[in-house]
Amino acid sequence: MLNNQNKKKREPVDVIANVIIIFFAILNLFPLYWLFTSSLKNSSDVLKMPPDWFPKTLTFSNYVDVFQNQPALRWTFNSIYVSLVTTIAVIIVSSLAAYAFSKLKFKGKNVIYIIFISSLMVPKEVMIVPLFRIIQNLGMVNTLNGMIWPNVATAFGVFLLKGFFDTIPDSLREAARIDGAGEFYTFYKIILPIVKPGIGALFILNFVQVWNDYLWQLVVGQEENTKTLMVGIASLMQDLNPNFAYKMAGATVAAVPMLLIFIFFQKYFTKGLSIGAEKG
Amino acid sequence: MKMNRHVLKENLTGYLFIAPQLLLFLIFLVYPIIEGIRLSLYRINYTNQVFVGFENYQQLFQDPVFIKSTLNTVLFVVFIVALTVIFALFVSAAVFDKNAKYVSFIRGSYYIPVMVSMVVMSMVWSFLLNPANGLIPYVAKQMELSSVNFLGNPKTVLPVIIFITFATNVGQAIILYIASMIGVPKDLFEAAEVDGANKLTIIFKILIPMVKPTTVYIIIMNIIAVLKIFVVIQLLTGGGPNNASTTLMYFLYNNAFKYNQLGVASAVGVIMFLITLVLSFPQLRSMFKKN
Repeated sequence: MLNNQNKKKREPVDVIANVIIIFFAILNLFPLYWLFTSSLKNSSDVLKMPPDWFPKTLTFSNYVDVFQNQPALRWTFNSIYVSLVTTIAVIIVSSLAAYAFSKLKFKGKNVIYIIFISSLMVPKEVMIVPLFRIIQNLGMVNTLNGMIWPNVATAFGVFLLKGFFDTIPDSLREAARIDGAGEFYTFYKIILPIVKPGIGALFILNFVQVWNDYLWQLVVGQEENTKTLMVGIASLMQDLNPNFAYKMAGATVAAVPMLLIFIFFQKYFTKGLSIGAEKG
Repeated sequence: MKMNRHVLKENLTGYLFIAPQLLLFLIFLVYPIIEGIRLSLYRINYTNQVFVGFENYQQLFQDPVFIKSTLNTVLFVVFIVALTVIFALFVSAAVFDKNAKYVSFIRGSYYIPVMVSMVVMSMVWSFLLNPANGLIPYVAKQMELSSVNFLGNPKTVLPVIIFITFATNVGQAIILYIASMIGVPKDLFEAAEVDGANKLTIIFKILIPMVKPTTVYIIIMNIIAVLKIFVVIQLLTGGGPNNASTTLMYFLYNNAFKYNQLGVASAVGVIMFLITLVLSFPQLRSMFKKN
């Protein structure tokens, strides 16, 4: 794994450093290992001291419990719905705006773009009180819509997609215009298909972010039928049930989809995340 | 005249394309900021609002819990950001020039906990640290440490929170640094090697200076992320013991949604907003230069 292709001599510092790094990498994954294995133990084994480092008997009863005694199916559905609708709305709204900022000429373009981008630095959580009052006035408390729309107002998508639109030569758009295509047609049929990788990266990054969001979903969804998975499993923590295995099963249900996304779409994270840093 | 109409049309098209984004932006970002500033100057009881000027702010600065929240938040920001940058630099500098499979193994191992929600990570850590039947207190007992209730002890609770937050988030900085280091031109290293520089010299004299923009970005992004630290506090300590681990965001949340002190909560929000604005200034300036 550590063989050097260029046959340079490997310095001892380098070897020691990499051993330490591998050790910490494994240690860093241990809490997740403990989460998965605990969720598969029965309620007495999970509390046993000294612990079973590998579960001796595997049981899925904790998962059955979570889905039967708790509305975990409802929570999962809500999380999928909120993450999916938010992400699709973000993609539609941001791709339109990013196209305009990249390819069109209009008065005040630069000023508006600067204000948009500045908002990237402000965590919306600090304005949670006025934001909650807006949702109240719109009658969106305890609705999934109340969780969705404030999160569509993010400049991240505009920032990310503009970078992709900028790489497309203007001549392509001009050619389409000369052929008589309207602006929207040009955008939708000609330019948008070219930035598919950007849309993909935005989809993944945004979906993960909304899925893992907690504070806003906690504030908006207070009723049982509007709880999302994060709010739901966090409420298991306050549950008096001393069975930790069952709480770990709930947490695993919330964690697994993100792990799958990471395994299948790893390259999007490397690319998508780096864009901000490169521009900065 | 025809030219004018053309310009007008082009302007209109531009505005139409940004209209949906702009509308959402005005409703859910610009208006809340203005409204937040206004609310911070009022005392609010359910439906009636009384203008009180800066009274909420004065009250805050006399409130020992607010002072404690601010100090803790600053402490968290300083230690977590420093640990993140140093450790991520160490990992990335040692790893980036190895073969691609190894790089992606290390990157993945550190990034997976970032992918998993802080809610999930807090639940696992809460279980791991549970004084009655958690793994870590058990190991501590075997090693005959005197205190095993790490979250219940005001001396250990802050380091534990700092460590957990650092460990679950450092992967992001590692991804950014590795990407940035792979982009540094190879001939710079080769030239230095010809001159007889060893790996450490190369790292400190070439690599770290070359990735400085990434460092600035990581520092600012992490400051802003840690500034709003909330989940781990709510789920692991509830701000305790005796407010020892409370933070600004947790204080804001409690005032807004537990004590119904909307004016005070808004004032905390405004203070946090101003802090982020000042801190993000260098990053914004460099972004605009590129545009």
